[in-house]
Amino acid sequence: MTACDPVSLEIIRGAARAAQAEMEALLERTAMSAFIREKKDFYTALFDAHGTMAVGSDLPIFGDIVGPVAKHFPLETMRPGDLYWYSDCYGSRGAVSHSNDQVFLAPIFLGQVRVGFVMGWAHFSDIGGLRPGSLSPDATDHFQEGIIIPPVRLMRDGVTNDDLLRTFWRNGRFPDQSQGDTRALMAAVRLGERRVEEIAARFGADVLADAFRQLLDRTEATVRAKLAATFPVGTTRFADAIDSDGQGNGPFTLRLALTRTPDDRFILDATETDDQAPGPVNLLMHPDVPGMALGLYFLQGELGQVLNAGAPRAIDEVILREGSLLAPKPPAPLGLRGLTMMRLLAALHGLVAVAKRGEAPAAHSAYVVIALRGTAPNGKPFLLSDGVGVGYGARPFADGTDAVYFVAQENYPVEFMELSYPVRLRSYAINRDSGGAGLFRGGCGVVREYEVMAERAMLAVRVDSVRNPPWGVAGGLNGGSGRAVVNQGTPGERELPPLSDGTILVRGDIFRLETGGGGGWGHPFDRDTALVLEDVRGGFVSPDAARAEYGVVITGDAVDEAATARLRSDPPTPTGLFHRREYTDAVA
Amino acid sequence: MPSRDLIVAVDIGGTFTDITLQDASTGQAWTAKTPSTPRDPSEAFVTGVRLALDQAGRRAAQIGRVLHGTTVATNLILEDRTAPTALITTQGFRHVLEIGRADLPRRDNLWAWIKPKRPVPPSRVFEVPGRIGPGGEELIPFDAAAMRAAARAAAATGVRAVAVCFLHAFANPAHERRALAILAEEAPGLAASASSDVLPVVREYERSMATVLNAAVMPAVSTYVARLEERLAEAGIAAPLLLMKSNGGVAGSGAIRRAPVQTALSGPAAGVVGARAMAEAAGVPDIITVDIGGTSADICLIAGGRIGLTQSGRVGPWPLPLPMVDMVTIGAGGGSLARVGPKGAGGGALTVGPASAGADPGPACYGKGGTEPTVTDAHIVLGHLPPSLLGGRMALDPERARRAVQEHVATPLGLSLEDAARGILAIADNNMVGAIRIVSVERGHDPRGFALVPFGGAGPLHGCALAELLGITTVLIPPAPGVLCAQGLLAADLKAEFSRTIATPLDQADPAALEAAFAGLEAEAAAWFAAEAVAEPDRTTTRVALMRYAEQGFELAVPFGPRDALAAGFAAAHRALYGFDLPNIAIEIVTLRVEAAGRIPSPAPMPPPASGTAADARIGSQPMALRDGMAEAPILDRARLGAGAALDGPAIIVQLDATTLVAPGWRATVDASGALLLRRHGGG
Repeated sequence: MTACDPVSLEIIRGAARAAQAEMEALLERTAMSAFIREKKDFYTALFDAHGTMAVGSDLPIFGDIVGPVAKHFPLETMRPGDLYWYSDCYGSRGAVSHSNDQVFLAPIFLGQVRVGFVMGWAHFSDIGGLRPGSLSPDATDHFQEGIIIPPVRLMRDGVTNDDLLRTFWRNGRFPDQSQGDTRALMAAVRLGERRVEEIAARFGADVLADAFRQLLDRTEATVRAKLAATFPVGTTRFADAIDSDGQGNGPFTLRLALTRTPDDRFILDATETDDQAPGPVNLLMHPDVPGMALGLYFLQGELGQVLNAGAPRAIDEVILREGSLLAPKPPAPLGLRGLTMMRLLAALHGLVAVAKRGEAPAAHSAYVVIALRGTAPNGKPFLLSDGVGVGYGARPFADGTDAVYFVAQENYPVEFMELSYPVRLRSYAINRDSGGAGLFRGGCGVVREYEVMAERAMLAVRVDSVRNPPWGVAGGLNGGSGRAVVNQGTPGERELPPLSDGTILVRGDIFRLETGGGGGWGHPFDRDTALVLEDVRGGFVSPDAARAEYGVVITGDAVDEAATARLRSDPPTPTGLFHRREYTDAVA
Repeated sequence: MPSRDLIVAVDIGGTFTDITLQDASTGQAWTAKTPSTPRDPSEAFVTGVRLALDQAGRRAAQIGRVLHGTTVATNLILEDRTAPTALITTQGFRHVLEIGRADLPRRDNLWAWIKPKRPVPPSRVFEVPGRIGPGGEELIPFDAAAMRAAARAAAATGVRAVAVCFLHAFANPAHERRALAILAEEAPGLAASASSDVLPVVREYERSMATVLNAAVMPAVSTYVARLEERLAEAGIAAPLLLMKSNGGVAGSGAIRRAPVQTALSGPAAGVVGARAMAEAAGVPDIITVDIGGTSADICLIAGGRIGLTQSGRVGPWPLPLPMVDMVTIGAGGGSLARVGPKGAGGGALTVGPASAGADPGPACYGKGGTEPTVTDAHIVLGHLPPSLLGGRMALDPERARRAVQEHVATPLGLSLEDAARGILAIADNNMVGAIRIVSVERGHDPRGFALVPFGGAGPLHGCALAELLGITTVLIPPAPGVLCAQGLLAADLKAEFSRTIATPLDQADPAALEAAFAGLEAEAAAWFAAEAVAEPDRTTTRVALMRYAEQGFELAVPFGPRDALAAGFAAAHRALYGFDLPNIAIEIVTLRVEAAGRIPSPAPMPPPASGTAADARIGSQPMALRDGMAEAPILDRARLGAGAALDGPAIIVQLDATTLVAPGWRATVDASGALLLRRHGGG
């Protein structure tokens, strides 16, 4: 085996990143569904010859992607020009965790030697199922969540099995979009394949293999070192809850216990997590996911490191309980697992906060998605699936981020929505007071008001963290909650269940969506009064909240220094490490 | 009246202001260099022009045209020093800038990323009732009284500029026009800018940002341009002042004062235009330009002599979707720092850039206090650079370079000094190759059919290495690679684009309606030609259709023609770019565009260099570390290399503004145009 020298390693890393960027650009330019081209719900990754992810995306949701394919198509039977495809959650043990996500995977060869794999992944906006968009809080069975593609071979020796594609397109409500998205994803994977072939040809199979091995080892060593610097020997525990499953059940509590043994093994035990839900909030969590998530957290500021399968290797064991919210049994519905995933990410930070006495980010709200479906005035069916930003948690070094959805995913511009769908937006603004107060303020969520211009449309809403708002830490207060309301301020005003489907709206109805914020970090009375004033001027904090939560009195457009000094002379004492409505050492 | 055959181009850099004066009738050129005067750049501007005139023995009155590229707008934006600005927007949308696209960059860490502070804080955003629909129809009447109150409130915050961006103003600018009129009455002293003038395209965040940036740089750019014109008048120069735009063309000072943000991405554009002109003079139509400076590299592909435009530009963290020269910028330059990360299981990670030593302290070999190794230091270690630069005015300290590479890279990684230096260069070159692939392969071109044109101070050092990595066999080094911007200014035409969004399925597009729309755009172009005083024979307009498959998010530009030709042209372009087309999916025409160019007679090429062989030009030699051992490489003075002179690598060719490395296996010949052509002949 030829070793890869440090220079070649950096060149290979750079070339792999460039290949990803090219694949992503191609997808973005050619895809047809707004979910991919505007919201940019797509990712790419490179794997070694055995299928271990060596260069991933900075997104903590990937499990073992190649394994499920290898189970059906042994690696040694693969040939140049093959392309594999799946979206099977239960069949991949959670490598994908809802059926909308399509994985396209191609082996890469140098001559006849397999040197790696390349993946293109994208969320398809409709794949059939119970409701347009395929994801609904009303689903009670995974088979209601659209067509399931088990690992299949879409291309052999460069020849496409068009029958498979036609079957797939026939099972969705928007076949043209599906067709365009499939072609875009296939072209992106082919492009990635060519790029990795070029890298392999330049350096040779052995050097490339060693480069991948070093990238994996490096990430594992970094994450393991950070874990050791964070967690003391013994068991650290943290629990948090999602509100409901959209079908009247809940809350559901995630209970995590991270044990560091005296010989420095790390074991994550989630067996005490609540039972699986009847509704579609179950997260079929691949055991690699917690390691990927902590990996992303620990790789902050590490120049030259990539998130890959080395991160999960830093956790020696992940213990799940079958039948729990994190390891549901088929055919439990899975469509809205995103909100459980977001709560899991915050809970992992909760473990860090416990271990480091508050030196961790506060919790964030789960991203919000609404779906509006009906028939447009031009007679065509429409599906508006709108991902909406939330506030992220304040950090020990900075405010939380306002109005962000998730990694790399963009909102729909108001003008684009009005051009494309029968809606008119009445406002799109920061949700004032939704950021948790703190020395560093939690990020604020947003307000989006939609006026329905179609005769009739069915609305699905997905808002979590309402009854269990994102916690603050180290003296910071919890973030604000989201809500969904129709025709606010009129006699017909009705508040919608935050996680619900089947609401019928008619032309002229005004749907107001408010999304939640992130928790605060540090004591709010320690925040610079000038920053509080600027937040009030900018519409992030109300004068009342400035007084009540920050101890800052604002009169007219200025800080009343004397009154502020009086208020701030007697700050409330944090009586617990976290804050959810009150200071507490355990939020759930 | 004296003949006004002189053209002067002025490029203001951080340290020096470079002036090129050229006689348009003979091609004779004179250059001058004078220290920049950052407090009032117009001082050096005029001093330099006078110096050049003295050299040429000509008079100010003989100058017929003054060309200039300014980075005033760019620097203000990048350094967050724009004028305090307010934004007036549609009621309900005060936080459009703040929310942006609700994303964080794909390559940033979710937990570490800090959202950049917006150029206008929400406390200076004011809402006004009134609503235009997506088709341009008025849904809610404009509230003039509220607008008056907003104008007064904005003025009361002490701003110097006001931007106006209303929803769907690209479809109907009526409300924005009224807002501007009210601003002129209520806040007459403030610079004002409306989105329908700056960037009439869909997507409110990007359009608001472009408008805000435009307004925010207006006061400074206006002052700057006015000051220049004043100075020119004082100096007896009555010629029009033309400024470089991001699209690679120039425009009169009046147009720039109204839309100064059009200069924000113009810095690298002038060099690209210059490279194109030099390649054309040498008879090379297909080139990839690589402009390598101290901290970054700009890469651009030119096929068939045509410079492509994109609307995906960014300035700092902000999107700026104005037409700009289609290029890619990466953080790799001569000052890029090589660093080894903390030791992990597989050893520390070696990275080069994006951190840079900048001009101060600069590379370790400059001896100005820099201790970390840079790309330039790696060149020194390998013997690629002569003992001094700038014609002897700047000595280099090879010992410091060696120490920096040894301590920071070679020792931690257990490499020899030379291998460490080669590694640094290999990583920097690889980063550039990645970017070159993006402009070539991603745009449907095979780089092997192109000539590489490296320029900028550090470009000609990397030409052969980059070409080898890409399989390119010809490298063209312009006559003055370090000061190509001035050449670009001299070669630039007046350029402007006029667009209209129509968003129509191709099979339903009414030819008469398309013709009418184009006629309207061409009328706008004609008015612009008249305002810029372009003579009839020098005017050209090109019709372009921006098309996509229904529901895609990106358009491809296709030359306009009959429906079948449009469909075929689009499908072919899609196949070439992306590798597939979709025969059964409907095609849409999204935007019609008229690209207008006012030809400015290009000066005749500069006289070819005097005769002189490689032997005549040899001024010394030095040891160079090659992969297979040391070699003594000759050092040649480019000024003494005559047309037809030829030499084989390894060799170092020095000139005032740059150093060219001729690698082993490459042969350099001096072209009649003055360019140096390097061709691979195998070996090496």
